[in-house]
Amino acid sequence: MPYGNINVDTVTTTTPGGILGGGNASLMKNRIINGAMVIDQRNAGASVTPTSGSYTLDRWYFSLAQTSKLTTQQNAGSVTPPIGFTNYLGITSQSSYTVGTNEFYSIVQTIEGYNIADLGWGTANAKTITVSFWVQSSLTGTFGGCLNNGGSRSYPFTYTISSANTWEQKSVTIAGDTSGTWGTTTGIGVQIWFNLGCGSTYSGTAGAWASANKVAPTGAVSVVGTSGATFYLTGVQFEIGSSATGFEYRIYGTELANCQRYYWKKAGQYPSANTTVGAGMLYSANDARACLANPVPMRIAPAITFSGSGFGFERPNTFLGTIGSPAAANYSPEASLIYSGSGTSSGTAGDATFWYITDNTSYIAVNSEL
Amino acid sequence: MNFNQADKVQEYSLNGVPVGILVVNGNDRTCIPLVAGNTDYQAYLKWVAEGNTPLPAENE
Repeated sequence: MPYGNINVDTVTTTTPGGILGGGNASLMKNRIINGAMVIDQRNAGASVTPTSGSYTLDRWYFSLAQTSKLTTQQNAGSVTPPIGFTNYLGITSQSSYTVGTNEFYSIVQTIEGYNIADLGWGTANAKTITVSFWVQSSLTGTFGGCLNNGGSRSYPFTYTISSANTWEQKSVTIAGDTSGTWGTTTGIGVQIWFNLGCGSTYSGTAGAWASANKVAPTGAVSVVGTSGATFYLTGVQFEIGSSATGFEYRIYGTELANCQRYYWKKAGQYPSANTTVGAGMLYSANDARACLANPVPMRIAPAITFSGSGFGFERPNTFLGTIGSPAAANYSPEASLIYSGSGTSSGTAGDATFWYITDNTSYIAVNSEL
Repeated sequence: MNFNQADKVQEYSLNGVPVGILVVNGNDRTCIPLVAGNTDYQAYLKWVAEGNTPLPAENE
């Protein structure tokens, strides 16, 4: 039965004083993944000395001229995080190092092109964004960071830490770049760099876009310049708009899946159980082949690391054969083929098999980071 | 990935078809797809461009 037409310009809520959507509710407002520093698949909270290019907490990697100038750990120093957070990324300087002219030390997140495609950067319609974060350091002064498209466009920015060893929330608003080339698919979209020390070659004028590969503002505090200095970071948000809004918390499973698009890890749990890796068949007498399915479609066909020697397979009437030289092939964002190469047990080609991790130190790591 | 610390770097094939780069580093075996957008493969190409040579290819 027709009731006629209803034209609606505004939908409001009967909640006193509120309008639906008038708060901070929106989906993927924050383009940073793991900005709350909750997920640490690689190190599970352990302290590490990162090498350049190595990831520590999920989605965050270090770009370093030299190794051994700093250590990093989720919740290093065990300080109380800012209200609303339970974790932070902690960095501790290991020496009083004077950064060389061509050197830089930074913690970086690269946002995939698909996740910034709507910003319109590189066009006349480039949108303004705001970066906000909580930071604490044993040092005070003018710190810095930078936005970068991977090498040819950059925007150094500064922020001030006023009180040592005290959480402070900072925000930086940046007019979108109307020039340059900005990735909009599976490659680099935007990189956000937090500077820990930078020489003059890669330092630039703060507050302006430049056609140059800069990663820090000129004159920023050098964390690696003071032995024992700390730098703690959490609540990082990159959002469209000219002011910072409340941090977008995400359901844990959702954020874990966001991270697994770039990296995931299957670790052995023995002796509680052998860890099931995948099902397959014996391609030949001792070559067990199986499907390694990714938990989510990955950014691109991943590299696969087999760490340790605790890999085995089950086949009919025989519990385990050792997998001698695990390897992978037929890679795709969704799944890959893994095979044993050689083994110590033999069976019959065509037998069904399961792959297992058979100790608690071995693991499989699957990587398609940017 | 740091190729300079690797024990072994070689291209490998499965059933006669090239499928990837194998990097053995201590107790780790990393298999890298021949995919241009994979950053580990990009690192391998850079390592080769710097004058390094992988071991002869291996076929499974």
